[in-house]
Amino acid sequence: MEDHLQNLYEVLSKVEGYVYPNEIELNWSILIVLYPYITGLVAGAFILASLERIFKIKVLKPTYGIALLTAFSFMLVATMPLVSHLGKPLRAYEIMITPHSSSAMAIFGFVYLWYLMVVLFLEIWFDYRRDMVIWGNESKGVKRFLYKLLSLWTTDISPKAVALDDRIGYIVTVIGIPSAFLLHGYVGFIFGSIKANPWWSTVLMPVIFLFSAMVSGIALVMLIYIVLTKVRKQLIDMECLDTIAKYLFYILVIDFALEGLDQIHRIYVAEESFEALHKLVFGKLFYTLFIYQGLLGTVVPLLTLGTLQFYKPKASIRKIIYIILPVLVLMGIFFMRWNVVIGGQLFSKSFYGYTTFKTGLIGMEGYLMAATWLIIPFLILSFLLWLLPPWNKIETSHE
Amino acid sequence: MPQHIKRLISVFAIFIVLFLVMRQVLKPSSFGKLGHFRADAIYENTLKPMHYTIADSCTKCHKSVRAEKDKGFHKRLKCEVCHGPGLKHSLFAEQFKGKELPDSLKLYKPGERKDCGVCHQKNAARIKIQFDTINTTMVHQIDLAEHNPPDLKANEPANCIDCHNPHQP
Ligand code: HEC
Ligand code: HEC
Ligand code: HEC
Ligand code: HEC
Repeated sequence: MEDHLQNLYEVLSKVEGYVYPNEIELNWSILIVLYPYITGLVAGAFILASLERIFKIKVLKPTYGIALLTAFSFMLVATMPLVSHLGKPLRAYEIMITPHSSSAMAIFGFVYLWYLMVVLFLEIWFDYRRDMVIWGNESKGVKRFLYKLLSLWTTDISPKAVALDDRIGYIVTVIGIPSAFLLHGYVGFIFGSIKANPWWSTVLMPVIFLFSAMVSGIALVMLIYIVLTKVRKQLIDMECLDTIAKYLFYILVIDFALEGLDQIHRIYVAEESFEALHKLVFGKLFYTLFIYQGLLGTVVPLLTLGTLQFYKPKASIRKIIYIILPVLVLMGIFFMRWNVVIGGQLFSKSFYGYTTFKTGLIGMEGYLMAATWLIIPFLILSFLLWLLPPWNKIETSHE
Repeated sequence: MPQHIKRLISVFAIFIVLFLVMRQVLKPSSFGKLGHFRADAIYENTLKPMHYTIADSCTKCHKSVRAEKDKGFHKRLKCEVCHGPGLKHSLFAEQFKGKELPDSLKLYKPGERKDCGVCHQKNAARIKIQFDTINTTMVHQIDLAEHNPPDLKANEPANCIDCHNPHQP
């Protein structure tokens, strides 16, 4: 008997009910869970940075540079899960050179290039140019060369030039906010526009993705800020953290409300898919949806942050809370992506059956690969923080 | 215009030109021939090995099975649904008529209880609606654990095919 038939009988014994053969295997694996997760972190971190810059929330200053560099490091890696998922690394650039507006997938090249090059790169460049010029003059060797290269061998750091940089940087940030919304709204759109999948198909999807992106990005920057300050043996700016926590709370409330709305709508209209989804949610998705995403990732942080708005315990306790909460939130959002991506493929679109998801530790689509793509952004970030330490910048107040 | 802005714009200009050049060079040659995709992808897919054959090709050599099946409840099932992909078999089995088939040409003979259960095992997720008047295509559901389970001691028939003819159940 041929191998793949053996496999077919093997997987058929794992499905419940009737599942069409093309739905048995989950084609979108853990790496596709990572993709919206990572782009979400990018968009979220960027939006936190723009809070400081555009909305002039000055207490957030210590996190501005960190947030920008975080967004940049994760953006550089954002496509990599897709590339390793597709398994054709030698052809991976094709999606970038043949963008097209007629397909949500093919438009990716435009969205990505716009956001990476025009928004993130430019904003960081204008923000750091003067410092790079100065650092370039002060340092030697490779570092000197890197600074010179990055500043394009420019030398003009007269107040006039710096003021211009600042103005352009501001404009780029203004353009950047809708772009960040676009980037992540786009990722939600890919799922939301799939009519045949009742678990995905909702116009709320882009908005939900957007707010969950902000939640995760803010939580990530918060965590990185705490860890960095500890590593640098500096004092943590509690006022800044309290403010971040406040914004995290607001956005978490919106996110929770939106997702709740989505579910209530689904329950109320109870389309023919309802029964199948109901079984899915209380069966295969029970832990990831109710426990990890709902309880630990949303309700607990929501209640804690809510309480903190009225009652402020000692700084040392708040600090511990501010370390644990981002971790919970980050986990919750990861499982939110999981529930969308994996959950949407677990049930048969004919609503007669369910399949199972299994992924190995190793291999192109295994957990190790996924972990790699989550760790690399941190390595890039460490490098960027070494090269462009935001705390060594000359104080400028963005006007 | 300040010097650094000029430099930045030139870098972007170089980048865009480079992008356009790279696009010309790297774009797969058959891209765009038939639409916004690589036309060769279609051709490459035709090169994949085939596994299944057309439904009627089994009839050529197994007329009696087909005739038997056409009279029974399984008449709508294609042979390969149960026996698995049979292209190689139907091309090369002829020479082994009356002899033992080599392993590579053997087909699956799904004679165990779980094999029939793939379609017949009771499952809440399967169609529940019953049309009284219409001759439905709904698959009859039984509970494998309850429907004539094997009794190891009494040496009773155990497999579905001991009582049901798979081709004419
Ligand atoms: C070219 C003639 C030919 C065609 C076409 C053909 N078979 Fe066979 N088949 C044979 C021969 C010869 C044997 C060997 C045993 C025998 O003589 O009965 C055999 C045996 C089998 C067996 C029993 C194998 C075993 O291990 O005992 C099955 C099941 C079978 N065929 C199914 C099919 C199916 C399903 C198709 C259509 C996809 C098919 N055959 C098409 C010639 C053919
Ligand atoms: C419902 C599933 C099913 C379908 C559909 C089916 N078969 Fe079978 N077939 C079986 C099973 C089970 C056996 C094994 C019987 C046994 O072991 O005694 C079998 C045995 C055979 C054999 C071997 C005969 C023997 O007595 O060992 C041949 C030949 C065969 N099938 C041909 C066909 C052909 C040709 C078709 C399509 C016209 C077909 N089968 C459709 C389930 C099926
Ligand atoms: C590929 C799916 C499939 C497999 C595998 C399959 N069957 Fe069926 N079976 C059907 C369909 C479809 C019908 C026709 C609809 C109906 O009457 O249930 C049917 C009908 C039957 C019936 C008649 C039910 C009635 O209406 O009284 C019996 C008995 C039966 N199958 C037994 C078996 C046995 C025994 C096996 C294992 C050798 C088997 N089936 C394997 C799909 C399958
Ligand atoms: C001991 C013999 C025996 C065995 C073993 C057996 N059956 Fe049956 N089966 C029958 C008889 C007799 C009937 C018809 C009477 C009835 O409905 O119970 C029947 C009826 C059926 C029906 C039609 C049910 C309906 O509601 O009309 C299906 C489907 C079926 N069997 C499938 C299977 C499958 C699948 C297996 C293996 C897991 C199997 N049978 C094993 C004797 C058997």
